[in-house]
Amino acid sequence: MGDHWNQSISELAFSACKKILKENSKPEAVIVSNAFSELSSQSSVGPMLADSLGLEGVDSFNVESSGASGGVAIHVANNLICSGQISSALVVGVEKMRDIDPAKLVLAQALSESAEYSQFFGISFAALNALLARMYIREYDVPRDKLSCFPVIAHRNSSTAEHAQFKKKFTVEEVSRSEPIADPLRTLDCAPVGDGAAALLIVGEKYVDKKERVVKIAASESCSNRINFFDRDHMFRFGSTETATKKALKKSDLRIDQLDFFEIHDSYSILAALSVEGLGLSKAGEACDDASNGKFDLNGRYPISTFGGMKARGYPVGAAGVYQACEAYMQLTGQAGPNQVKDSRNCLIQSMSGIDGSALIQVLSKER
Amino acid sequence: MAVPFWRNRDRYYSILGNKCAQCSEEYFPPVSICRKCQSTNLKDKHMPRNGILLSYTMQKESLPGFEDQEPMTFGIVKLENGVKIISQLVDAPYESLRQGTKLKAVFRRIRSDGESGQIFYGYKFTLSAKKFDVSE
Repeated sequence: MGDHWNQSISELAFSACKKILKENSKPEAVIVSNAFSELSSQSSVGPMLADSLGLEGVDSFNVESSGASGGVAIHVANNLICSGQISSALVVGVEKMRDIDPAKLVLAQALSESAEYSQFFGISFAALNALLARMYIREYDVPRDKLSCFPVIAHRNSSTAEHAQFKKKFTVEEVSRSEPIADPLRTLDCAPVGDGAAALLIVGEKYVDKKERVVKIAASESCSNRINFFDRDHMFRFGSTETATKKALKKSDLRIDQLDFFEIHDSYSILAALSVEGLGLSKAGEACDDASNGKFDLNGRYPISTFGGMKARGYPVGAAGVYQACEAYMQLTGQAGPNQVKDSRNCLIQSMSGIDGSALIQVLSKER
Repeated sequence: MAVPFWRNRDRYYSILGNKCAQCSEEYFPPVSICRKCQSTNLKDKHMPRNGILLSYTMQKESLPGFEDQEPMTFGIVKLENGVKIISQLVDAPYESLRQGTKLKAVFRRIRSDGESGQIFYGYKFTLSAKKFDVSE
């Protein structure tokens, strides 16, 4: 993650894929997740990347679902493989935010909201999150400083993550006193802008090479919600996240307390708080208390964002879900270095579009 | 931008939403299917022009075309019929805003396409306690 000024979208994607392509036979499909390539004049990045990876002739397309794009790409690949349609898919998440005209970056982040009733009036995505944050803070009487605990955890974890955009720790005070973006949210409450690419190979069970270190997709579920959070019956409940999580736990035959870590959608600190509540890791209104008490630390009861999450590892919007899955793979196969969650066997990843407009949940398990 | 604006001009100019002919639930923006009773029989309905403030923020980064209005204040307004909408707040000192502040709709310029381009108009909200209102 970072600013890859000297690499095109194809070159960045290639750098993420070359190890997989070298060690494995040709995948049957190339599924690319990306949210913003059209803002830099490039559509149809799926077949374009397949071509630049030297994989012409395979099934290839791209998926776009804003911040959930990566989760959707894995979901689609998993479903195609489970249905027997294909036996293997290379899932590539890639985003070149630095190729977007800087004047359009704020617009890019607001694209998942209504063009006619949000964007038309000029409201940014950060401001929508701020409106939600102010109401949440008041509803549950949460001190502003406690919301800062989420970025603090993320940056502590990213400080030792080699691939993170920001390897720097911050204190609660530094977060709470950083530059205001949309009151009450500050710069350090918000994920940064950057470029990134990540890739993974998904194969059907009978095609697994026993010599490889593999993890199993125990469940992949998706759910949608009313787009405007203020139109929902329960404004502080992430219904998509709740429903998809329940379905995924049932399918994987696991309880939430059997999961060892969680890669969550923490692009704004308010989204992190409501996500852990939606996942069932905290009671309503208690997420920030739990965060300040160490519950979500790397060595806590429920570690989150183990390499810094979207907040600190960086947020390549359309690629974020693929980054999460790659990081989960590193954890479950014992390759997480100083960020290793001890004895981890099962985990959950959550990505979403907008403010829980849709949520993608995947449960990944270590192969026994 | 011009065509979707033209299509929605009554929505933007006069907060024209719709109302379910079966269960009387009201909506803004308008919906095609009633969320309460699933009826598709909905009729246009003007929203009340008064409401109270539920949440507010001052945004420091602008979408393209709004740079000259930085920083902008936005709020969630609960109208008298219970419908909640997002709106820019104008002529309202930021420090004076509270949850429950009474607001009323006003008609304003939203933005313009450069010096000789189209000017887009629509609703914004301001303090209802104000005595002078240019829209009336």
